[in-house]
Amino acid sequence: MIRRPGRRTVLAGAAATAAAGLSGCLQNPDPNNGGGGGGAQKYTEGDTPGTGTVTILGAFGGQEQSAFEESLADFQSEHDITIQYTPDQDFTTTIQQRVGAGDAPDIALFPQPGGMFDLAAQGHITPIDVYLDYDALAGTLIPGFLDSARLQGRVYGAPMRMACKSLIWYPKKAYEAAGYPNDPATMQELYAIADQIKGSGIAPWSDAWGADQATGWVGTDWIEEFMLRVHGPEIYDDWIYHRMPFNAPEVVEVFGLVGELLKGEGNVLGGTATILNTPFSEAPLPLFAEPPQAMYVRQGNFVTGFLPADILENLDEEVGVFAMPTWEGGFEGQPILGGGDLAALFTLNDDTVEVMKFLTSPEFGGPWAQAGGWLSPHKTFDASQYADETTRRVFDIAANAQVFRYDGSDVMPNAVGGGSFWTGMVEWLQGAKDAQTVCDEIEAGWPS
Amino acid sequence: MAVVTTTPSTSPGAAAAAPEPERRAGSPARPVRLLIGAVGMVVTAWLVCNIFLAFAYYPQWFAGSGILIGLLGLIVGIGGSVVFFYFLNLCIEGFPSRFSEGLIPYAFLLPGFSLIAILLLYPTVQTIVYSFANKDSTAWVGLENYQAIFGDAGFWSALLNNLLWILIVPILTVAFGLAVAVLADKLSATGERIAKSFIFLPMSISFVGAATIWGLIYAYNTPGSPQTGLLNAIVVALGGEPHAWYQIDTARLNSLLLMVILIWLQTGFAMVLLSSAIKGVPEDTIEAGRMDGASEGRIFWQIVFPQVRPTMLAVFITVLILVLKVFDIIYVTTNGRDSTDVIANLFFRKLFVEQQAGQASAVVVVLLILVLPILVYQVRSFRQQEANR
Repeated sequence: MIRRPGRRTVLAGAAATAAAGLSGCLQNPDPNNGGGGGGAQKYTEGDTPGTGTVTILGAFGGQEQSAFEESLADFQSEHDITIQYTPDQDFTTTIQQRVGAGDAPDIALFPQPGGMFDLAAQGHITPIDVYLDYDALAGTLIPGFLDSARLQGRVYGAPMRMACKSLIWYPKKAYEAAGYPNDPATMQELYAIADQIKGSGIAPWSDAWGADQATGWVGTDWIEEFMLRVHGPEIYDDWIYHRMPFNAPEVVEVFGLVGELLKGEGNVLGGTATILNTPFSEAPLPLFAEPPQAMYVRQGNFVTGFLPADILENLDEEVGVFAMPTWEGGFEGQPILGGGDLAALFTLNDDTVEVMKFLTSPEFGGPWAQAGGWLSPHKTFDASQYADETTRRVFDIAANAQVFRYDGSDVMPNAVGGGSFWTGMVEWLQGAKDAQTVCDEIEAGWPS
Repeated sequence: MAVVTTTPSTSPGAAAAAPEPERRAGSPARPVRLLIGAVGMVVTAWLVCNIFLAFAYYPQWFAGSGILIGLLGLIVGIGGSVVFFYFLNLCIEGFPSRFSEGLIPYAFLLPGFSLIAILLLYPTVQTIVYSFANKDSTAWVGLENYQAIFGDAGFWSALLNNLLWILIVPILTVAFGLAVAVLADKLSATGERIAKSFIFLPMSISFVGAATIWGLIYAYNTPGSPQTGLLNAIVVALGGEPHAWYQIDTARLNSLLLMVILIWLQTGFAMVLLSSAIKGVPEDTIEAGRMDGASEGRIFWQIVFPQVRPTMLAVFITVLILVLKVFDIIYVTTNGRDSTDVIANLFFRKLFVEQQAGQASAVVVVLLILVLPILVYQVRSFRQQEANR
């Protein structure tokens, strides 16, 4: 074997030099100057003629996509506009990449405001006051929606769909047979009923946080619900926008209150081990066991999608729902925590503006409401279009809310809202760390 | 690729025809050839690149048809590289033949080497560079990232887990693979085929799929309700209490349970390679052992085993490198909760969740440093094997 280290060394050296030459520099800190949006103050029809085609990028596919497209069918033929909707499972990343590459869709439907703010700050999105009637929109929307899409005084997206989270579900037949009241005015009243349920030999609550790598998000909802009820929307906003530290005494106090409920002996079916090891979609199942093993589940309106088929068939007879009540001694109005898809505009022309006007109007969504699983963010939406009484009830709860607030973990930076907040909740529920430690760690990890 | 189709590398015929008094061995430089070759290469590369860009930017030129673009892409891609290599060859032949004979192999290695440079070396160096920069790689921060990760208890826990994975998974995988290969060898031909197919089957399952399947085995339900998880169903049937397996980090039990998944997946791989190695052991060596009256055990350990050892080593190292990169199984089951984190998952979280590009780079640089000795060892032992042939 003849070794020729000389040549090999030369080659390796050449490779290293080439690689170093290609890479030895930093990235441009501000690669996206200019681009669409931004400039105009007020758009009037005719400023830029449309192309007849409007592209929309969103996160939902499958049945939701067909219901969405169906809702746009009449509009398309009336206005002679073709809408091309592209669903993308990995929307959050895709939209950043496409906009960065200069290939933005005309309209994007953001499931969370966070990603929209990033692009708005770079000047890619046109604020809605440029092309929509802001006051009319604010008049029909559930209050609070537009505030959650506001960045430095201007609103960049308008909601197209609403999710309502502050709901407590119960098995109607068993619950009413036992004679428990279904209209507690405060959480304290609810606790009193829960104690009665406990007295009857079963756990009052069922809860489940399991969501593979996202385990813990259900827990963040609990904290948000209690923050909103105990301390009110102003402190809630300060908290989610990080105008006060995450480990402020108010937050630690709320961890304590949630802990009393979730960790209390006999409160939740199976205790913390069951909460952490059951997929969130299975939380309602014990309510419909024979006999029921628990009476309450707190979860968003989407939970009906996970109910057993025989329950789903008779949804209105089998399932009851009421709004998670207020906290005695806390904020007085009924707050609702939720979410929504925000439509944001990248390309400003006659056609895209027309589509945005329709998407964000109370008239949009009839066929989708019929198909189920969709809520209009407008108070003035014609509720008779919903497929069942339960959905109408949920819509009433949301429409009558004094305050609507966006799910805080969706607004927080991803490092917290999709990372340390989730894991922190799990560690706290397990008892591996106490509330103060968890809050301190989340605060320490908040991106500067 | 179409590399082979080029013209013969040297053409001394034409040169020899002319009276060349000076040297028999070579031809002089031919600048025209050199120039045509160089220009041809540049033009071909430019043309091919622009045609591909046109596919992306102006699909309407090609009637917006995906099939047409795909076909044209094939033709332009393969044809382009043939033409490129033709000009490359032409260019090299333009050099004096003494020179060109030495250059030819490198010229043909160049495309492959530049691919490695662009896809492997460049990102590696870039990562090392970024590990000294801040979270969005816009300013230098010195050793801050390394300080941050070395000061983080989570990092050391992940490192310890990686160490456990490295120590346990490859050895068990090879051991099980060897055991199955040896035992299957004793079966009838059909029996062996069926047994090996079944054990090889998990190899075709993705890591995420496997994690889901094993999720059904480790599942936990409230005590008192029916246990849907196989393991807990057995425990309860034997009169025990159900356990939330993924949460038990005493003696890293949860990590061990996750390792079972990977061993289950990889045993088939080890088995296939080891089985063929065992079949490759010359019958006469075994025969000789039998003649001398050696027991089956002794034949295995002293005759078969030494002869399959190189294959075992290759399997061991392949699995070892796989284990160093293990990510999917952890991500979809526990996402690193309850002290099950590993380096790759930590890196993913730092980069994509916490968006700390600097710290994420530092984490993978540490991983790279850990992998290097193994890679060097593997390359060296491979070379030794080649030399022994």
